[in-house]
Amino acid sequence: MSVPVVPEAGGAAAVRRNFWRGVWRVMRRKPSRMAGAVILVAFAFMGVFGPMLYPDPLPRDTNALYAPPSLRHPFGTDFEGTDVLALVVTGSRYVLLTAVVTAVITVVVGAGVGLFAGFRRGRWDTVLMRLTDMKLTIPGLPLLLVLSTVWKFTSAVEMGLVLGLLGWGGVARAVRSQTLSLRERGFIEAARGLGLSTTHIVGRELLPGMAPYIAMNALVAVTGAVYAQVGLFFLGVLPFEANNWGVMLNLAVFGGGALTTTAALPYLLAPLLAILLLTLGIVLVVDAMDEIFNPRLREE
Amino acid sequence: MITGTGITKTFRQRGGVLGAREVPALRGVDFTIPKCGAVSFIGESGCGKTTLGRIIAGLETYDAGEIVIDGVAMSSLSHRRRQPYFRRIQLIHQDPYSALNPTRTIHQALAAPLALRARQTGRPRSWTDERARELLGLVGLDPDYVLPRYPHQLSGGMRQRVVIARALTVDPEVLVADEAVSMIDVSLRLGVLALLKDLRERLGVSVLFITHDVATARYIGTDGELYVIYRGQVVERGPVETVISAPVHPYTQALLSAIPVLHGLESPGEQRVVPLEASGEHPDGCLFAPRCPFRTERCENERPTLGPAPGQEGGTPQEHACFHPERRSVVAVPVSGR
Amino acid sequence: MAPEQSPPGVRIRGLTVAYRTPAGELPAVCGVDLDLAPGTITGVVGESGSGKSTLALSLLNAVQPPGRIAAGSVEIDGLGDVVALGGEGLRRARGRHVGYVFQAAQNSLNPLKTVGKQVLDLGRSHGVADLRGLLADARGLLDRMGLDGARVLDSYQHELSGGMRQRVGIMLALVLNARLVVLDEPTTALDMITQATILRIVREVHAERGLTTLVITHDLGVVAEVADRLAVMYGGRIVEQGPTRQVLAEPRHPYTRGLLRAIPRLVGDIAEARALPGRPPTLADIPADGCVFRERCPLRMDACETGSPPVVTRGSRSAACHAVRDDEGDRPAVAATTGEDQS
Ligand SMILES: Nc1ncnc2c1ncn2[C@@H]1O[C@H](COP(=O)(O)OP(=O)(O)OP(=O)(O)O)[C@@H](O)[C@H]1O
Ligand SMILES: Nc1ncnc2c1ncn2[C@@H]1O[C@H](COP(=O)(O)OP(=O)(O)OP(=O)(O)O)[C@@H](O)[C@H]1O
Ligand SMILES: [Mg+2]
Ligand SMILES: [Mg+2]
Repeated sequence: MSVPVVPEAGGAAAVRRNFWRGVWRVMRRKPSRMAGAVILVAFAFMGVFGPMLYPDPLPRDTNALYAPPSLRHPFGTDFEGTDVLALVVTGSRYVLLTAVVTAVITVVVGAGVGLFAGFRRGRWDTVLMRLTDMKLTIPGLPLLLVLSTVWKFTSAVEMGLVLGLLGWGGVARAVRSQTLSLRERGFIEAARGLGLSTTHIVGRELLPGMAPYIAMNALVAVTGAVYAQVGLFFLGVLPFEANNWGVMLNLAVFGGGALTTTAALPYLLAPLLAILLLTLGIVLVVDAMDEIFNPRLREE
Repeated sequence: MITGTGITKTFRQRGGVLGAREVPALRGVDFTIPKCGAVSFIGESGCGKTTLGRIIAGLETYDAGEIVIDGVAMSSLSHRRRQPYFRRIQLIHQDPYSALNPTRTIHQALAAPLALRARQTGRPRSWTDERARELLGLVGLDPDYVLPRYPHQLSGGMRQRVVIARALTVDPEVLVADEAVSMIDVSLRLGVLALLKDLRERLGVSVLFITHDVATARYIGTDGELYVIYRGQVVERGPVETVISAPVHPYTQALLSAIPVLHGLESPGEQRVVPLEASGEHPDGCLFAPRCPFRTERCENERPTLGPAPGQEGGTPQEHACFHPERRSVVAVPVSGR
Repeated sequence: MAPEQSPPGVRIRGLTVAYRTPAGELPAVCGVDLDLAPGTITGVVGESGSGKSTLALSLLNAVQPPGRIAAGSVEIDGLGDVVALGGEGLRRARGRHVGYVFQAAQNSLNPLKTVGKQVLDLGRSHGVADLRGLLADARGLLDRMGLDGARVLDSYQHELSGGMRQRVGIMLALVLNARLVVLDEPTTALDMITQATILRIVREVHAERGLTTLVITHDLGVVAEVADRLAVMYGGRIVEQGPTRQVLAEPRHPYTRGLLRAIPRLVGDIAEARALPGRPPTLADIPADGCVFRERCPLRMDACETGSPPVVTRGSRSAACHAVRDDEGDRPAVAATTGEDQS
């Protein structure tokens, strides 16, 4: 057998290195993916470091209320004369942090419940799925409205927690059905026959197969969370304490009359543009998930 | 040594309004797998071969009967205590692709059970890498090439070798190979069969070979035993060469007659038996009677049980379950002069 | 029932079919010449990926993108060159002239419709006026193949066993009176007894209806049972062909020989069986130049590295191997047997 010589695999480290090299290869296959990744990195950067670039509180230029876009104020100013770009950047932290917390909770709870129910089957499965169904039938928005009367969501983490706990149902169901079909596969049976632990089987054998699916759901949950909270603030059901995109939209529409006059238009469009751009970035990156987590498509 | 007595299994299929339908997959099967032996189960699709193999590997429950491993009756043990016994019996799946996790490299696939083994036997962790290479070498693969790869980067034959290497990580005493070569390229099949045969000789593992192709069963071990299964019942058993050259049961004869003849190299056996299209059911009769060209009235009303075949002297006995046993030469014979 | 005219012959010349892959366009079938004589059963044997299904699909010009017929012609009597055919004419030809039983026909029936409904659909899409007659034909064919035709027509796919589905596949290929039938792996995944039944049916129906049949398989035993002529494929090329019995009795190409030795037999010394070294090529690593089999060949020599081996034809047999030509002198027996053609 003619066999090309391949350097010895130094265990887990080499595998991990190969994985990231594979990810890089997959991303480079389409320029759109790179664009999406760049957008997401930019947003992450904005959320982490953005607020540090500006003084707190933001300076107000009382001579320029609702100023049109200019070099100094690329998106104009708001009703107090604060730079809109600065508002978008400083407001991003709350929005993005919420989104990340939501995504993490959705995925962890959803995948956990789905895996457990699908792997254990039987009574656990029935109980957990009943629970999931119940959760799925609770309408999210009205519940949020009710909750917001008693809870002020001052921290992004609280907000993310609530959104995440409302959103894991779909993931749980899908992961469960995937688990049910995967557990019949030969390699799971072989792992059981070899006496490997359940933790190993679930964590190392089952989970990686669902990784593309889970990663996609995480990304989609990010957009969902952004829409949900921006919507809540826009509706004004939550008191604004921090700077945030939803608050901006609310003020632009209800305070500045952006729908009727042009003065507040940039103020309205700036946060919308940010949301659109974030969504676009996510959509472009989601396209790569299948290839990243499927070794056949990744190695090629 | 592993023996089974009266293994019975009935599947209950949930179906339609009428509730459960019962599918008898095994009807009281007895078997013995000696140390370092080669035992083959043959029979047509749906006769219960896979079910029996899975039961022996501890992957399926059974309704009645007893499995005794090294003198210990499995029914006397709790589920937990039974596991170490069944771990000595490893199943090689039919489909070498689904038997390996597509998201894990071969290194990962071997490392997990080896790490477990190292813990059990108190060996250092570094032993696992060394052992993985040793095992891959044993199954005829180049560790440097195979270890960092994913299953899809290997050919069917290589994958099946990896599956065998993985089964060997737990030092099994029996390998249950369920149609282990049927999904592999023709030119690579013999290599895997030769490996199984070789493992028998070198490591002393027994091979339980499940197939509908008798010739491959013969390759694993001419000294082995053959069990012919029809609808969940053993209808004939005996030494491989005897059953092939002088089958007694009409079903065995039909099975052997069905093997394609390489015209030009061989000429068909003189007394080839072609089974009839099944007609009617005889609830108490011989299971094969509806398709048997030699059936009589007795066959339709009474079910034969396994008993010694006529005209035998010593050696492993040949047994059959037929009221009208008759040896027939059905197997193709090589054209003379070749 | 069988129509009057004689079965069609097929002449495949220089057929090359390529698939577009990330590594460029790669030929899965390369310069294949093959004749299907009217009224014969031809068997094509080859391992997975050797291009058998692709070859069979090109017989109806039905290679799907990313594949395309890059060169060559497929002349079918009464149809002309199908490579030049297109659109409606081609659709008509499929089914009416050429019946095709797909690989894994067991799973290619529509699970939501009864077999009878599927026969009617087939009839309608081919504009058959007498649908009742068509159903009667279908039942007749199924009865002929040892099934209860009426019951099978009323059944759904899941109610039929693998062997029964395969017979339904054959019925669907024949019911429009196609005279050229292509069977792709008709017995894979069936057990020995069912396989023997299907092969017997193929042989009998072939003779009764006066067909030209192409059987594709990876199992030499299957062609040995049914085929008059045998073509061995490797890496997209036909490396050897000739009358089945002669090729099996006296294989010339080292691949055919190796394949024959790699089949364990029921009688004789089992230790004589030998595995072929190496592994079959995939589309990406079929050597572009030289002999496709050289990596695994025991007779490999310098000439094999470059230049495709010439097809050496003697009588009704041919083989493409550098070593075969050199063999010629010291194997007079080979030349002697080629004259007598079996019927
Ligand atoms: N999980 C199951 N549920 C219900 N019926 C089953 C199940 N597994 C097997 N059976 C039935 O039990 C019988 C024996 O099946 P088994 O898979 O053991 O046959 P086999 O001899 O391995 O056949 P093959 O050659 O097709 O693999 C069949 O009739 C099958 O339909
Ligand atoms: N749609 C496709 N795209 C790319 N490559 C393809 C495609 N279909 C087939 N091939 C390649 O063409 C080659 C021949 O394929 P083909 O299906 O004709 O083989 P085969 O001999 O029928 O094999 P098998 O026995 O597995 O059915 C293979 O290497 C295969 O990978
Ligand atoms: Mg089976
Ligand atoms: Mg094919």
